[in-house]
Amino acid sequence: MVVGRISLLLGGAMIVLYSAAFGIGGPLFINIGSVILPVFAVSGGLGGALVFTNDRTKGVLEYLVAYGVSPRQILANALLAGIVQVSIVLGAGVGAGLTTYLLSGYPLTPALFEVLLAYTFPMSYLTVTLMTTVGVYWTTLSSPRAGLNSPLGVLPLIGVAPTTGLLLLALTLGSYSGRALLIGELALFVVLVSLLARTDRFMPPERMLSPA
Amino acid sequence: MFRAGARSIPSPTPDGGVSLACRSLSSGYGKQTVLHEVSFTIDEPSVYVVLGPNGAGKTTLFRTIAGILRPTAGEVMIDGVPIRQQGSRDHLHYLSHMDGMPDGLTVRECLDFYARVERATPADVERVLDQLEIREFTKSFISKLSAGQRKRVSIARVFLRERAIYLMDEPTANLDPKVAREIRTLILNLSRERIVLYSSHNLFEAREIGRYVITLRGGALTLFDRMENVRAAHFVIGVRTLTPTPALEGWERSGDYYLRELSGPEEVPGLIHDLEARGVRLREVREMENPLEDLFT
Repeated sequence: MVVGRISLLLGGAMIVLYSAAFGIGGPLFINIGSVILPVFAVSGGLGGALVFTNDRTKGVLEYLVAYGVSPRQILANALLAGIVQVSIVLGAGVGAGLTTYLLSGYPLTPALFEVLLAYTFPMSYLTVTLMTTVGVYWTTLSSPRAGLNSPLGVLPLIGVAPTTGLLLLALTLGSYSGRALLIGELALFVVLVSLLARTDRFMPPERMLSPA
Repeated sequence: MFRAGARSIPSPTPDGGVSLACRSLSSGYGKQTVLHEVSFTIDEPSVYVVLGPNGAGKTTLFRTIAGILRPTAGEVMIDGVPIRQQGSRDHLHYLSHMDGMPDGLTVRECLDFYARVERATPADVERVLDQLEIREFTKSFISKLSAGQRKRVSIARVFLRERAIYLMDEPTANLDPKVAREIRTLILNLSRERIVLYSSHNLFEAREIGRYVITLRGGALTLFDRMENVRAAHFVIGVRTLTPTPALEGWERSGDYYLRELSGPEEVPGLIHDLEARGVRLREVREMENPLEDLFT
């Protein structure tokens, strides 16, 4: 709970500063700022996986399963927590960016809305959902460990990797970059759906037990 | 199959009689089977103490009855209905050996959360705050509570709503004697109308609270009987006197106690009568060995 709040605060602060700085740059906000925003959004959306891991360790999940709450519902709540957090972070970031963008005298253009609606928002939600799903599955397979060797330690990297990979791909492809981003998003969506379809296999009730 | 109540202790069960039955129950974790074909039926309200050395399968039994672990064979039945077929969880309360409380919440937030899970009312929360004497902690974060306070809050959770069967896995572990005694009293009161399965490593506590003993060893059921039927291999009593007396010279000593091995408890009244006749002023006579200890050897 506390770590979730810290993640939200840090992610929010980082993204607001980043977006505000890029907003002043006008076109830079459209061409670079909005494209990199999902990377920052991920840092604020760790809460779902963090709360899941903490609740599992404390025996909260064991109790919930005993009272008939299914692991599927527990995962759904972790995803919801991540999505709510990333919405807050993203809202703050895009709001700050647009505010400085407009205050600097730049006009609202179709290109700006296109990049936000077709890439920034969906990519942020996709990566946070993927990161939370992988984190939850991984946590249920393991005992708590500290640092980068733990699921939670690796989670930010899992969240950042798809966005970074796609951006590198887009840069390589040059004029096809927009199409590459969309195809990448679609591929991520397919991976996510196929992972979620295996929830019962990855999360049988006994994996909700505390490893302590 | 063992059956409680087979010695005809007629006692009404709640709501017209809830029964709990394990039928050839096997269960475990992944490919590791921990419980092996455990069978028993309980249909009388009482405290059933579940004993066994570490790894015997006590927690696994509780988790399987609670529906957290799926049986690899056999079945758990409540009122004759397999727990897989829904409804049965409304009969059960499960108190894990873990506290099961999120650190980031206050006591009130925590109880409100569990009240929503349990479909209990705000009035139920107010009631358990008084019942478990935790009202003064309502604004404290769970992480700031002592072990005893946490356990009280954890137990308060199972009093939010009444159910017919209570599974309590080491509810008094790591508690100071005063709190442990209060919790035992609560559980004893509960057991007048409810079935309570209670695991503990404290054999004196087990003897004090349990009417029935269930023992597990290596995942198999080894005993299900009334507590008074569990006898030690050696029945040793200890006698303490108000004043030193030559009448007990030659008796073995253990601290303040003079020891004597008898063939059984039926010899105790005669021994007391004999000692009093010889002028011994008795302060205390007690059984020195806990017969439950033999179940672990």
